[in-house]
Amino acid sequence: MVKERYFYYLFMINALINIVNFVPRGLINSSFGGAMMAIVIAIPLGVLMTFLFIKGMNKFPSQSLPAVFNAHFPKAISATALLLYASLWFTAGLITLISFVEVTLRYVSVDVEPTMIMLLFLAVVCLCMRINSESLLYGLEVLLCINFPLIVYILLKAILHPYFSWDAVADIFTHSIALPSYRDIATATFIFSGYINMAVFNQVFKPLQLKYLWLIGVLGALILLTTFLIPIGFLGTINVYRHVYPWFSTADALRTQNFIIERVLFIFYFSYLTLSLNSAIIHWHVALNLIKGAFTSRNKKETRSKSDWWIMGIFSAISLFVQTINQFKLDQLGLMFLSVRLCGEAALILSVFIAYRRSRRKTA
Amino acid sequence: MKDSQQNSKPSNVSVLKAVQEHLKNMSDLKLQKLGAQDEQIQFLYLSSLADSQKIKDTIITPYYEMKETEDYENYMSSFPGILVLSDARQIEGKILSGYAVISVNEGTLYLFDAARIESTPVTAAETEVIVQGPSDSFNEQLDVNLNLIRHRYQSADLKVETMTIGTQSKTQLALIYDDARVDQSVLEETRVRLGSLSLDILQGSTELDRYLSSSKFNLFPTTIVTERPDRAVFNLSEGKIVIVVDTDGFVVILPVIFNDFFTAMDDKLLPKPVSWFLKSLRYLGLFLTVTLPAIYVAFSSYNTDVWKIQIALLVAGSRATVPYPSFIEVVIMLLMMEFLTEASLRLPKAIGSTATTVGGLILGTAATEAGLVSNIMIILVSVVAISNFVIPLNMMGFSVRILKYGLILLAALFGLVGIVCGCLWLTMYLASLRSFGKPYLRLFGLDRLASGNTNAGRGR
Repeated sequence: MVKERYFYYLFMINALINIVNFVPRGLINSSFGGAMMAIVIAIPLGVLMTFLFIKGMNKFPSQSLPAVFNAHFPKAISATALLLYASLWFTAGLITLISFVEVTLRYVSVDVEPTMIMLLFLAVVCLCMRINSESLLYGLEVLLCINFPLIVYILLKAILHPYFSWDAVADIFTHSIALPSYRDIATATFIFSGYINMAVFNQVFKPLQLKYLWLIGVLGALILLTTFLIPIGFLGTINVYRHVYPWFSTADALRTQNFIIERVLFIFYFSYLTLSLNSAIIHWHVALNLIKGAFTSRNKKETRSKSDWWIMGIFSAISLFVQTINQFKLDQLGLMFLSVRLCGEAALILSVFIAYRRSRRKTA
Repeated sequence: MKDSQQNSKPSNVSVLKAVQEHLKNMSDLKLQKLGAQDEQIQFLYLSSLADSQKIKDTIITPYYEMKETEDYENYMSSFPGILVLSDARQIEGKILSGYAVISVNEGTLYLFDAARIESTPVTAAETEVIVQGPSDSFNEQLDVNLNLIRHRYQSADLKVETMTIGTQSKTQLALIYDDARVDQSVLEETRVRLGSLSLDILQGSTELDRYLSSSKFNLFPTTIVTERPDRAVFNLSEGKIVIVVDTDGFVVILPVIFNDFFTAMDDKLLPKPVSWFLKSLRYLGLFLTVTLPAIYVAFSSYNTDVWKIQIALLVAGSRATVPYPSFIEVVIMLLMMEFLTEASLRLPKAIGSTATTVGGLILGTAATEAGLVSNIMIILVSVVAISNFVIPLNMMGFSVRILKYGLILLAALFGLVGIVCGCLWLTMYLASLRSFGKPYLRLFGLDRLASGNTNAGRGR
């Protein structure tokens, strides 16, 4: 059993890595459309979904989603649902990995084989995703504590920079009153999706009190606004369209004077590489457990190791295959994932409540 | 050979004969007889194990001072710690651990503990030196070690369980813990692991430490082996378990967390800001010794644009004469450094200084002048070696020593990305380790102890 603060870490990691997962890309695409309004809508929506899902999972203390589904739904339905959700989580991790390979090629190691980098990432992620849930949370805490000061430093550096154009930011604010599309809202709500990992991590938590739920709202708002506005303030309202990874371009524009590293990009890259890989580890850890849950019968204890290696092999093969697609399609895939994800999450919350109703009917 | 009729005269004589027969060809086996007329007292012991002064004072002198043999028998049976046995096997075992068998009037066999134990006196700690504070260390005797701990921890909750490990060495262990504070699950786990050990010989606590660890390929120590009583007592008060092994001046402390290896005992004695500074210094040392060589490889051959331009030029300039890639340069120098450390460790003190002189002065300056390695490289290797020694517990120091090679390899293959991935894996690996069921790497590890205490206090 771990303390409640680890839940907020799960939220934080997901919120922080949104930069890599095409959230700024999607928001900037409609920066003169409904992006601002989407952010305003996303905050209460995200907090509400967090609240509902945690309430739902609290009805099943110390159980993971596969255990809940297998106990309360027919085998065929629960297995299908678990596999579908697993593919969602797998895609989340996959997009993070692939876009980070892209970032590495663009900004850090230009002359290296993308497959090599992907293999390295896959090795780290696959080795670490088999670690048990509790340990992953401890590791997450350490990495967040190391990286948080770095991120704050970069944020301050960007906001306080003389070339940061507050006019551009103000310009975006003038477009606040516009109806957002579903896609905008789906993109903006992504940063709140950390709670969804509780589907598996719930088994190491006591029922959560959620005393600091407001903190998620406040932090979410801050992170969304910085995600969206800092690249715009730095690169300009129009120019920002030219960059695939606006945040990395922003970091690349920053310089430090009093340090042995000149380009802030490397600090940014360092902290985001650890966070992204960590996030991919967590996503794939969840996916792995959901898949294993889908293939274990109700009574049998779940089997370890051998199936792990098979799933790792399949994950890696798909990643290496998807990696060959081009940047444009990847961009599309990323934004499509963000939209599908919102529906998936809503369905997940709903199914947890249906499971709860069925369990009550069973006991009554 | 169990004797059914205890104290019957002829059988006890035969038991003694059988023991003598089984232990023949031992030149240090002594059979002595007292009483001139009818040879009433015989005693048998191993002269190499028994203390002759003790035998003289407690066995021989009283005999001649007493008039009747009955008085002597009474004296013998009232002696504290005396054993009465009639089984030949048991008697043999006792003789082998330093007892003397005394047969009075060819009747009862008394076993008297005459063991002479050679041990070093309690001296100052040598492997974990601190500036101020208590300096005595454990020695090789179990009783003395228990005394050192009991003396510092005067609580009725301090429990001591003893057991014997090793079919041949019969080494005595003592499991010490504070009953009110210890985590019962850890205690149970320790008992199970100790109980399942089947060894011929156990020589010391470092060996025990290795047998107790859950995995053979553990990269990091999951128990602390220390020679400092104050560390042992401090850890006892935190609810940990101390295992004292007879014949070893080190004790095992478990369970531990990563942070424990970066705590020196004088941290408690210093003002808070100073001890925080020292602690952060140690973590910085850890970071430098693990990553610096890899960073040099990555930044001088791979991601050359990371440095500020002046530094990049400086490194490149100093590497101008070096004929091979930085990866090989680093590995060569690090290996030389490892040889040097090993050599100065194992050499006798008289020759030890030669190794450091040859290695440090000649190798360092000559290699740079010959252009085989760069100047900056030499500085870097020295920093790596020195910052390794900042870690206060040697066990951790050894583990950390090998980590840098893995990172160098990753840096040579993937550059900065490789280092970051390596560090990430390392963090996750550390987080996945368990020391007797307790998480090894946890930030804010102190709340674990606090919660452990309350759990134990409520009597689970």
